[in-house]
Amino acid sequence: MNRITIIFFLFGVLILGACKVDPKIIEPLPADNLAEVIPEGWPQPKYTYSVNTISEDKFVLGRALFYEEMLSVDNTISCGTCHQDFAAFAHAEHKVSHGIFDRVGIRNAPGIFNLTWHPVFMHDGGINHIELQPLGPISNTLEMGADINPVIAKLQASSKYQNLFRKAYGNDTVTSQKMLRAMTVFMGLIYSYNSKFDYYKRKENNVELSDAEQRGYSLFTANCSGCHTEPLFSDFGFKSNGLTVDPFYQDSGRVHITGLPQDRYKFKTPSLRNIAKTAPYMHDGRFTTLNECLDHYTNAIPNLTNLDPSIPTNGYQFTAQNKQDIIAFLHTLTDYKLLGDKRFADPNF
Amino acid sequence: MKNTIKFIPLILLLVVLSCKKDKKDPEPEPDPTPAATTNTIKILFKHTVDTSTLVLNQNYVNPNLDTFKVSVLKYYISNIVITKNDNTTYVEPESYHLIDVSNISSTTISIPNVPFASYKSVSFMLGVDSTRNCSGAQTGDLAQNKGMFWTWASGYIMFKLEGSSPQSGASNKGLEYHIGGFGGVNKVQRNFSYTFASTPANVSASVSPIIHMSVDINEFFKNPTTINFATQHTQLSAGVNAKMFADNYSDMIKFEHVNN
Repeated sequence: MNRITIIFFLFGVLILGACKVDPKIIEPLPADNLAEVIPEGWPQPKYTYSVNTISEDKFVLGRALFYEEMLSVDNTISCGTCHQDFAAFAHAEHKVSHGIFDRVGIRNAPGIFNLTWHPVFMHDGGINHIELQPLGPISNTLEMGADINPVIAKLQASSKYQNLFRKAYGNDTVTSQKMLRAMTVFMGLIYSYNSKFDYYKRKENNVELSDAEQRGYSLFTANCSGCHTEPLFSDFGFKSNGLTVDPFYQDSGRVHITGLPQDRYKFKTPSLRNIAKTAPYMHDGRFTTLNECLDHYTNAIPNLTNLDPSIPTNGYQFTAQNKQDIIAFLHTLTDYKLLGDKRFADPNF
Repeated sequence: MKNTIKFIPLILLLVVLSCKKDKKDPEPEPDPTPAATTNTIKILFKHTVDTSTLVLNQNYVNPNLDTFKVSVLKYYISNIVITKNDNTTYVEPESYHLIDVSNISSTTISIPNVPFASYKSVSFMLGVDSTRNCSGAQTGDLAQNKGMFWTWASGYIMFKLEGSSPQSGASNKGLEYHIGGFGGVNKVQRNFSYTFASTPANVSASVSPIIHMSVDINEFFKNPTTINFATQHTQLSAGVNAKMFADNYSDMIKFEHVNN
C-alpha cells in the first residue's frame, strides 16, 4: 500500500514538473481587452495592427519597456517619468520635460492616448510614424540621452527582458524593431473614448450635460472646433495660436522640421480630451490653468508671424460666464475609465 | 488492491506514451536535384579620391585644394533592377543595402536567384525610397539602429561622410555631412543607370558575374558646387543645402566593367 502511494506520488511530481508553467510577472489580462478599437463615428486610424499583431505578451513587453529606466543613458528616466498614467500620460505640474542629469527640455510632455489616429508626432510633427516615436525622447540629449544600440545591449543582457522578448516573439534576440513594435502595442492601445461627453453623445447611462456644460459646448462648437475638431478634438494641423515667442527657448516650431518659412512658430493642435488632467498647457507649459488659456484667447493677440487667420487679433469676445461655461464643458472630456485603467499602470508598483 | 497493482503497467504505459516525442515520418526521398536556373550577380563598389583608392583616415586633396581625411563613409544603395538583352528585368526583392567603407564585405552587394540570361544594364537608387522612410520600424540594413536614421525628424540619412580638414571652419576642424530628406523638391535620393557596353553580364550555372563600379569621393565635393570646407563643413538636416550635396553626388558612381 505504502509503496503504491509513493509510486503514485512520484508520478504526480513527475507529471506536475513536466507541465510546470513560468510564474506570471503580472496578473493575466483578458485578451479581449487588448484589441484595436474604433469607436462608433470615429475615422479610420492611421495605424492598424495588421502587421504588428497584438498579443498579451507583446503588450506586457511594451509596458515593461515604457516604464524601463534602462532606456536612458544613466538608467534614471523612463517614458513613464514624463508620461504619468494619472495625468492621462502627460507630466503633471511640469512645464517642460525633465531628463537625465537634471536637464530640462524646451517642450511640455503631451498626454498619450488615441495615438493611432495621429498622422505625425511631437509638437513640431517631426516624427512620422508611431513605431518611431520612442526614438525621439530616447535619443534627445535633454531627455533620455541614449543611443539605441547600448539600450539594446542592456536589454539583451537582462534575464527579465530575455524572457519577455522570448514570450512576445518566440526568441530572445533584442532588435530595435521588436522593441519599437512592442512599445507601439502598448502605447497605441491607450484609448480615450469614455468621458462624460462620450457617454452623452452615445446616449449611454442616461448621461446629460449640465446647463453650464451645454452652454460651454455650444460656445466651443462655434469658436474652437475648427481646430479642436471632434471626435479627437484636434485636426492634427499646425497653427500659431498667438503665443509670443519665449525669449529663452526661442522655439520656432514646425519650421525646424520643414524648413518652410510659413511654418515658423506653428505647433501641432493638441487634443483637448483629458485637458483638465494634463496641466500645464501649451507647447512650453506656460499656462498653469484652463482659466489662463481662455484669458490668452480673449486678450488682444499680437499680430505674430503666421498667426492662424481664424484667431481674431482683438481676442475672442467671451464674457467671464462664457469662459466658465467653456471650462465646464472641457471638464466633461476627462476619461476617468482611462485614468484608472490598471493595464496601463507601471507594473513595478 | 491486486487490481490496482495490475493497472500500474498500464498507467506507466500511458505516462510514457504521453511524454513520447512526436516521431517524425520518415524523410521523403528528396527529389533529384532540380537543374539550377539561377545564379548570383555581385555589384562591387570601389571607393576612390580621384584615381587613388580611398583609405580611411589618410590625407587627400579636394577640388578646392583643401586637405582632408575621411573617417566614416556610409550610404544606401536600393531598388536594384537588372535588365536582360530582351529588355525584361529582374527586380531584386527587398533591395536595401547599406555600404559602409569600414566594413569591406558591405562594399560588395550579392544578388542571389538571378535567372540565367544575358544582362545588359543595371539601375539602382542612392538612398532609400520615400515609402520606406514612412513605414515605421524596419529590420536588416534599414533597422533604425544603424546610425543612419534621424530620430528627431523621421527619415534616413541616405549618405554620411565624416572626417576632418585643417581648412575646416568648424572649431574641431571636423567635416560632417549627413545627407537626407526624402520628399519634395529637396529630396536627396538619386537614380543611377548604366549599360554594360560591349560586355553583358552572362548569368549561367558556371558564371556568377561581378559588376564593378567606382565611387569617386571628390565628385561629392564638386560639380555643380565646389565645396569650400571653410564654410561648408557641416550638413545635418534636410533642405536646400542637402539637395546641393545630392546634386554633387549624382555623378559620383561610375560603371567600370563586368567580370564574367
